[in-house]
Amino acid sequence: MKNIYIKITAVLALAFAVSSCENELNQIPFDEFGVENAYVTAADFENAIRGNYLGLTGTSYYGGAFLSVPDVLSDNVTLSEYGRQTKTILHEWRYDANSGYRGLYQNCYTTIYRANLILENIEGFEGDNKNNITGEALALRALAHFDVARTFAKIPTQSADANGSLGVVYRTDTDPLAQLPRISVAESYQMMVDDLEMAKTLINDSNPDARMNKEAVSLILSRVYLYMGRWQDAIDAANEVTTDVAARDNVVDVWTDDSRDGLIFYIENAEDVLNLGLGVEWSQAGQNNLIPEYVASFQLNALYDNGNDIRRDAYIFDGTEAGGNPVNGIKKLLGKGTTFSGKVDIKLFRAAEASLNRAEAHFALGQEGPARAALDEVRTQRYLTPPAGETGTALRDAIRLERRLEFAFESQRFFDLKRWGLPIVRGSEGGNADGTGQPSNALLLDAGNFRFQLPIDLSSIIVNPNLQQNSGY
Amino acid sequence: MKQKYTVMLSVLLLFFVQISFAQDKTVTGTITDDNGVPLPGVNIIIKNTSSGTQSDFDGNYSITTAVGKTLVFSYVGFETQEVKVNVSNTINVTLKEGALLQEVVITGYSSNKKDVLTSAVSLVTAAEIEELVSTTSVDNLIQGKAAGVQVTAANGKPGATAFVRIRGTTSLTAGASSPLYIVDGAPLDEQDLNGISSNEIESISILKDAATTSIYGSRGSNGVVLITTKKGKKNKEATIKVSSRYGITSKIEDNWTMMNAEQLLRYEAEMYALGVGQASLPGVSATPEEKAFLIANQLNWEDRILRQGVVQSNNVSFSGGEEKSDYYFSLGHDRNTGIIDGVSGFERLSGRLNVNFEAKKWLDVGASIGYSRSISDEPRDRNNVQNPFRAMYDYNPYETEFLLDEDGNVLLDENGDPQYNFGSTGFLVTEAIATTPEVEIQNLTLFSTYATAKFSDRLSYRVQFSLNHENYRREYYVQPGNNLDIIVGNPNFPGIKTDNGFQEVDYTISNTLNYNYTSDTHNLNAYGLFEFNQNEENRYSVRSSGFASSLLTTQTNAGRVDAGSTNRTRITLLSYGVFANYDYKEKYLLAASARIDASSNFGTDNQYGLFYSGSLGWNIAKEDFFDVSWVNDFKIRASYGTVGNRGALGNYASQGTVAFDPYVGGSGSRPENIANPNLQWEETAITDIGIELGLFNNRVSAVFDYFEKTTDKLLFSVPAPDESGIPGFSINSNLGKIENKGFEVELTADIVRNDNWKWTVGGNVGFIQNKILELPDNDGDGVGDDIEPNTFNTLFREGEEINAFFLTRYAGIDPQTGRPMYYNAAGEIVTADLLTDDDTVLLDKSPTPDFEGGFFTNVTYKGFGLRTDWVFRGGNYINNFVRSNITADGTNPGFNQATAAFNYWKKPGDTNVLPNPIYGDEAQTIVSDRFLEKGDFIRLRNVTLSYTVPRKYLEKVPFNSFRIYAQGQNLLTFSDFFGDPEVGISSGETIDQGAAVAPGEATLYSYPTLKSVSVGVDISF
Repeated sequence: MKNIYIKITAVLALAFAVSSCENELNQIPFDEFGVENAYVTAADFENAIRGNYLGLTGTSYYGGAFLSVPDVLSDNVTLSEYGRQTKTILHEWRYDANSGYRGLYQNCYTTIYRANLILENIEGFEGDNKNNITGEALALRALAHFDVARTFAKIPTQSADANGSLGVVYRTDTDPLAQLPRISVAESYQMMVDDLEMAKTLINDSNPDARMNKEAVSLILSRVYLYMGRWQDAIDAANEVTTDVAARDNVVDVWTDDSRDGLIFYIENAEDVLNLGLGVEWSQAGQNNLIPEYVASFQLNALYDNGNDIRRDAYIFDGTEAGGNPVNGIKKLLGKGTTFSGKVDIKLFRAAEASLNRAEAHFALGQEGPARAALDEVRTQRYLTPPAGETGTALRDAIRLERRLEFAFESQRFFDLKRWGLPIVRGSEGGNADGTGQPSNALLLDAGNFRFQLPIDLSSIIVNPNLQQNSGY
Repeated sequence: MKQKYTVMLSVLLLFFVQISFAQDKTVTGTITDDNGVPLPGVNIIIKNTSSGTQSDFDGNYSITTAVGKTLVFSYVGFETQEVKVNVSNTINVTLKEGALLQEVVITGYSSNKKDVLTSAVSLVTAAEIEELVSTTSVDNLIQGKAAGVQVTAANGKPGATAFVRIRGTTSLTAGASSPLYIVDGAPLDEQDLNGISSNEIESISILKDAATTSIYGSRGSNGVVLITTKKGKKNKEATIKVSSRYGITSKIEDNWTMMNAEQLLRYEAEMYALGVGQASLPGVSATPEEKAFLIANQLNWEDRILRQGVVQSNNVSFSGGEEKSDYYFSLGHDRNTGIIDGVSGFERLSGRLNVNFEAKKWLDVGASIGYSRSISDEPRDRNNVQNPFRAMYDYNPYETEFLLDEDGNVLLDENGDPQYNFGSTGFLVTEAIATTPEVEIQNLTLFSTYATAKFSDRLSYRVQFSLNHENYRREYYVQPGNNLDIIVGNPNFPGIKTDNGFQEVDYTISNTLNYNYTSDTHNLNAYGLFEFNQNEENRYSVRSSGFASSLLTTQTNAGRVDAGSTNRTRITLLSYGVFANYDYKEKYLLAASARIDASSNFGTDNQYGLFYSGSLGWNIAKEDFFDVSWVNDFKIRASYGTVGNRGALGNYASQGTVAFDPYVGGSGSRPENIANPNLQWEETAITDIGIELGLFNNRVSAVFDYFEKTTDKLLFSVPAPDESGIPGFSINSNLGKIENKGFEVELTADIVRNDNWKWTVGGNVGFIQNKILELPDNDGDGVGDDIEPNTFNTLFREGEEINAFFLTRYAGIDPQTGRPMYYNAAGEIVTADLLTDDDTVLLDKSPTPDFEGGFFTNVTYKGFGLRTDWVFRGGNYINNFVRSNITADGTNPGFNQATAAFNYWKKPGDTNVLPNPIYGDEAQTIVSDRFLEKGDFIRLRNVTLSYTVPRKYLEKVPFNSFRIYAQGQNLLTFSDFFGDPEVGISSGETIDQGAAVAPGEATLYSYPTLKSVSVGVDISF
């Protein structure tokens, strides 16, 4: 009899222990923030989306190298003999699979992963900011894929075979071990368009500082359509950008962060927050004891109508390298105010681009009048006496020239030449202000050269055997 | 209920009384050992009853029994004898000393006679421990005591624990190769073993193969060390034991000498003459008069910094029991000052009470409670002159501790105190010891309580709750105005105080249901286990600065708080198990186990792990056909099973976490660790084959074991595709495989055993080899990639030994020029400038010994005893950075050198000399095997001369036993190593004990091994 009681008690005790212990197996870290806690409240998603933007500030991305590399690859700059010969492999188009540009590739996918993580976790969330956050994450996912695509794959308008060629691995999930292949360029750009169109319908008209809004998404979209040759879509998207082109009086101040005129999306770079030192690929130290890495090419400098075109003052400064030789220093990214620390805001999208995108798209559609009008929206705010009235090829060239002048040192030139199917032709002048001195070692990259598509780094292929290399490497 | 019981008792009583009336009879007799010495305290029980008695001091007993009953005589250390009561009223019994294999071994949740054990288990008993003592940490005790157990003392610091590796290294993750220590049912961290007094320990079982380690499932792959504390004996009057020991310790003399002032000045001049010295050094710049002054006032820094230490140990225990209870009580105090002058070393106060009650006929309850408080005054253990053991070699003998005037008198400051001379290093360690005290205080509570309910003779249920609580506190004070404070502190906030510590609670609730079936032929013991374990650790750290006086030591007095943080981690384990042992007539043995462990640190898709084992044994000697008179025991056994290592896995390694960085407008969260729901324990499969022998009336016993251990699912951070975008582009995964194989022998023999003489020798050795079979292949070449662990110069490479040294090979000097030469990859001898990265090669040498063991001899003559214990190891290599620094080829100007530094190349044809100092830079900067030395040694760990007063002399005094002894430790060492070959930690603040993946890799000024001489007395009454 007694034994029965004992047994019952024991069994009960056991059963109790079992049920209470199973729950104890779910241990969430105390000192770190468990993922299950990190995407719950509206504030969590605000944190998460800010973290997603932080992805843009990676040191190989808009927080560093990607602010310079597309110009280093182009005809806008000359390698300075007075510098430390940084990024010469890129400048001289000598890259191969062992020296790819993996940092950018990884930084972009870091941004994409964070976006996907938000998109996955926000599904079950029904807070007020759900649409806006979703829109921002989609836009960031598209932007990062776009940057991978234009760097490592062909651009649709670049050549006839472009759309069918290898695009990007377009990630929309968070599986850490998935080894996905590249899809075609056409498919890749369609995915970007889908993300951006969706983003545009969800995102707020205005958002806090350093966050994208509907205007920013529209501008990106217009650029993507332009790259795709979908001219009318490019025009329509650009039309949704309502911010005016920066006034001529403010242009110089914009690049010293004293004015934010015409900026659509920029990331403030305060010392106590991001504290990113940018522009080290352009130059270091002060104006008169400059260590230049790259200087504005003699050719580009000559294109600015100095005195008439305010951008010569805004973008280029008359520097003296440490040995006393005058050079054309690159002023974008030099510093706030009169400083030269490189601690300057990251300016990603500006209103002028909407005008120039429209100009280009209208011209492509044969609409010369609207094209000229769009072009003049920019020119009237840059020149004291702006050029005007071009037609035909001259108008096309004027649009292209203005795009080069407006966006010099803003990660556009290489991609513009690439999508226009043009070669890169550098002048044979040296890096000194007067064109003397050492010119760049490589002066010509033929149109159609495989090096317009940067190689996928071998290390990336090792960890994803399904990743195909670009032709030529 | 109570009534019912009373009735039952009455019935029992009635029955008893009835018997008394029926066949009542008193039997008396004397119990002696086989030498005729009376044995007091022998238990005499009437078989199948609970009534019994004990023999008195003269071995006499008297018991009321009946004809036909059987008396069972049992005594610890002797074979149990049964005698049937016949008509005679006198039964004299001679008990035989127990066979060596007849010990009962605790093997996890149960215990087993060694005879029927099918597992490789090494046992260290209280008797052995008592003969060794003289160490403050239990793990050091088992060095040389168990085959296949490699014990490397972390260092010689008082209270330091050891690196214990049972059958090799089974993980490549730092801190994940230590065995599981279980003290009375609850796990204890290796570094906390110094909280247990060795006097409290009844036995240490070391489980080595899967047959028993598998019972511990996901924690068993490094082997299991079961520590059981002492118990009292029922029906035994209290035994009081007092042990006291006092000794002195000192540094083992170096097998080299440092230069004195005269020599160093001369050396400096010689170097300068060669163009490699510094003109500012006194050996170059001082006038003869100045040199004479320096020599006259020189200081032997080793003598100044070190001193003779004191070891002291006092313990008292009471143990005994009543009819239904037993108890063990002890108190202990241990002190080991160490040898640094001004550092008070290690001190421990410990207490324990273990009690067991037969609460009801069907219910046993008991508890063991141990507490210890250890205080350790900590010296710095880093690779610079803040470390006394580096300073004593580095400081120049011509530099004095205090500033001197021109007459050689000490200069005084405004308070009349001597003014410190911070010397050429700018740092004076004696000043630092006085003004930067660091103390660690560890309070350890070991608690365990249980209840066993017997449902029937065969079925019982036991619940046990065990808890170990560690409360650790560290205080480090850079006193205001101290030299270090002036260097690193803020003059506006003088003095820096750090308080940090943690509370760790590890508790286990075990439920076992035990089924026991015994008959003449079949013995079955099966039990089911349900267990829950949780470990939680809470840490804090606060640092403040700005103290008005060095006497103010708490931070409430600080000017400002500089830093503060708290941390917490928790891990839980839920286990189910079924274990069974069976034997048929103790001839055919069979055991099997299965355990399922669910641990909170496993990935959610792999939360439950199954670990199993099966083992067989055959006691051939018990077969009827086996008739070899001199073979008493002959057992063959084999086992196979799996065990896990969850310790390699961080507590939250399988889970996703996010971290925060500032972004415009607020914090941004970013993924930090990526969840891997598949993440699991490292898994080891062990095969073991063993033979156990007892020969010549069990005077010789031997155990042989061969084992193979394969560990796979090693934990690594494995790369993920770039497109994953995950942080670090890698994810914690289980990948990689290593193997350990070995052979072990344990031997004990009573060479002489007669009335006056007894001579026992014994020893053990374990040979082991390991190999890395698979590593993650990240570069896609089909071969696992090399991994550089957190070591100085070792590497993990597929197909090679774990931690093989990765160095350029030194080829000696060119006798013509004295230039150091090296082998390139092709084996050609080249100069340093021709070396490339490819010439750094993997050597067939590692810090892991190929073999290790110990042996002892114990001679007793009447009451006198002489015991020596030796430990040895070999096949390991040690990178001797100390030698490199003190024979630095002229590259260490301003620091003292060994006299051996004089022996450099001077003229063409010189061989067996150090390189020409003009090539000193390349001789020292090329990371070569020049200073890689064999670590082989044999060491006299212990020599004890004792006298135990024979019983007959004790009759008139109240003592039961009286033993006095003199003991020496580490008095003799045979080794070719330059310095002391027992190397564990290289430099504790460079790679600390918990982070060491290659213990013994290098010497870098950690606390040296000490030698000691002590005297002691053990009394019981």
